[in-house]
Amino acid sequence: MKKAGIIFKKEIKEVIRNKNIWLPILIVTAIFSIVVPLLFILGSGSVLGDEETMNFINKIFGQVDDPMKVLIGFILKQLLIFLLVLPAMVPSLIAPSSIIMEKENNTLEPLLATPLKTSELLLGKSLTAWVPAFIISTINFILLTIVVDVATLIKLGYAPLPNAEWVIVAFLLSPILSFILTMASIIVSSRSTDIRSAQGIGSVIIFPIYLIIGLQLAGFFLLNITYLLIGCLVLLAICPLVLKLAVKIFDRENILTRWKMKS
Amino acid sequence: MITVENLTKKFGNITAIENISFDINESEIFGFLGPNGAGKTTTIRILSTLISPTSGKITIDDRDNRTSGEYIRSITGLLTESPGMYEKISAYDNLEYYSSFYNISDTTRKNNIEKYLKMFDLWDRKDDPAGTYSKGMKQKLALSRALIHEPKILLLDEPTAGLDPESAHMVRIFIESLKKEKTTVFLCTHNLEEASNLSDRVCIIKKKIIRIATLSELQNDDKNKRAEIIFTGDADRYVKLLEGTTGIKTVHTEKNRAMVMIEKPEISNPLIIKKLIDSGAGILYFNEVKATLEEIYLDLIKDEKTK
Repeated sequence: MKKAGIIFKKEIKEVIRNKNIWLPILIVTAIFSIVVPLLFILGSGSVLGDEETMNFINKIFGQVDDPMKVLIGFILKQLLIFLLVLPAMVPSLIAPSSIIMEKENNTLEPLLATPLKTSELLLGKSLTAWVPAFIISTINFILLTIVVDVATLIKLGYAPLPNAEWVIVAFLLSPILSFILTMASIIVSSRSTDIRSAQGIGSVIIFPIYLIIGLQLAGFFLLNITYLLIGCLVLLAICPLVLKLAVKIFDRENILTRWKMKS
Repeated sequence: MITVENLTKKFGNITAIENISFDINESEIFGFLGPNGAGKTTTIRILSTLISPTSGKITIDDRDNRTSGEYIRSITGLLTESPGMYEKISAYDNLEYYSSFYNISDTTRKNNIEKYLKMFDLWDRKDDPAGTYSKGMKQKLALSRALIHEPKILLLDEPTAGLDPESAHMVRIFIESLKKEKTTVFLCTHNLEEASNLSDRVCIIKKKIIRIATLSELQNDDKNKRAEIIFTGDADRYVKLLEGTTGIKTVHTEKNRAMVMIEKPEISNPLIIKKLIDSGAGILYFNEVKATLEEIYLDLIKDEKTK
């Protein structure tokens, strides 16, 4: 564990210095935590004047007493899914390059020649992606909650957040999802032979999250506590499998001999 | 210290090394020589437990290489063929990072970092990012990294590659000094003069072991005995005469110099001198010379090719 901590400490400094990682995260945070919720909530009044929107609300929720409250609730369900974007995005920006960069810089072989265990190396590398993902998603959760509450307080006189669904997503589902995507990215990084292919495949790994967002926006389902808890359980069951797979796939020999060293 | 028995390594259908065996004693410098693709890097990677053998047994410091990887890595230092450094962080931080994976105290770590950076003239630039270092400086930094935990065994793949003559000389003196520290050195190099000067024994390999011996054993091989003759005139005039003398295998001439390969110098040398004097040759110099490691190596590799 101590050795994993040493790797984490060194790598996190490099992550912090790397603008290519921070810039997209800042942009996405600003869009999903500030711009989108403000537009959704502040623009909700004008939407309610639209006959088709009212028909849509009546179709989904039946006859309701307070369409605005229902609409805000619906918007919150949509915003909830955005909480998953950053925990998925951050590992895909950091983890794919973690092993491949070592290979490319010829630093992996001397590192593997130390008494470091494979599990310690993988843990150190995955913490480098997982910890920032958790911190950023927590910041995202706090920002989103403040923005939504302030906007709804001004517009409707009440603050709907945080609620149970949001807490489950922020502190249960997001970390689990980040872990799985981190391990998946490390697997990709271990198997790739160059950094571009690793990043290319890494960017595809978060595709399922976009799919969930798209399906909910299209009205196929609405996330609720039951769905979220089931999702958490399923993903939790997957965690040890991806961890095992990552350790198995991270084969020192394969990584060293498949990769053509830079001279 | 190191025992390798019937080691074979295959990558798919390709055999990198085949059935090689050798022993290396404590504090011995073991030169490991061979052409490109001979299996040197593969052997060094197996010894450092980075890759596993297809078959055979390796014991290092009385521990099995397959089951004691972590221990073996803790007592070995590896200088790879293309050593990389974290280019954005300082040389000092690079050494501190790698050394933190070994079980050494903070004081020893700091002392060793200072010791090796000073020894290799890098101390003044210890805070500069490794990426700003020249190739030679990076090589010295990589050597410092391999030594930072004061390993019992040092596995060196081309330690002086990319170094200027002065630095290379310094590194060689340092490698030689490791004998006093009882460090065992496995030295892979293409620099045959370096191997010749440093190694207690050399192993010449081309997938299989061609020969393991000390330099003097190699030089005393019948096939490696030779005499150098300097004439007052053109040496070509005496080629036929020399070739007709019993025990002479080959004759090479260049201007007034002839290099004669002899099977049994104690018999052939007096005969050569007598024949030359009888024929009226003006001899400036006659000397039995020892073959260099380079000459022996090239002969052995050539013989291996013709097999």
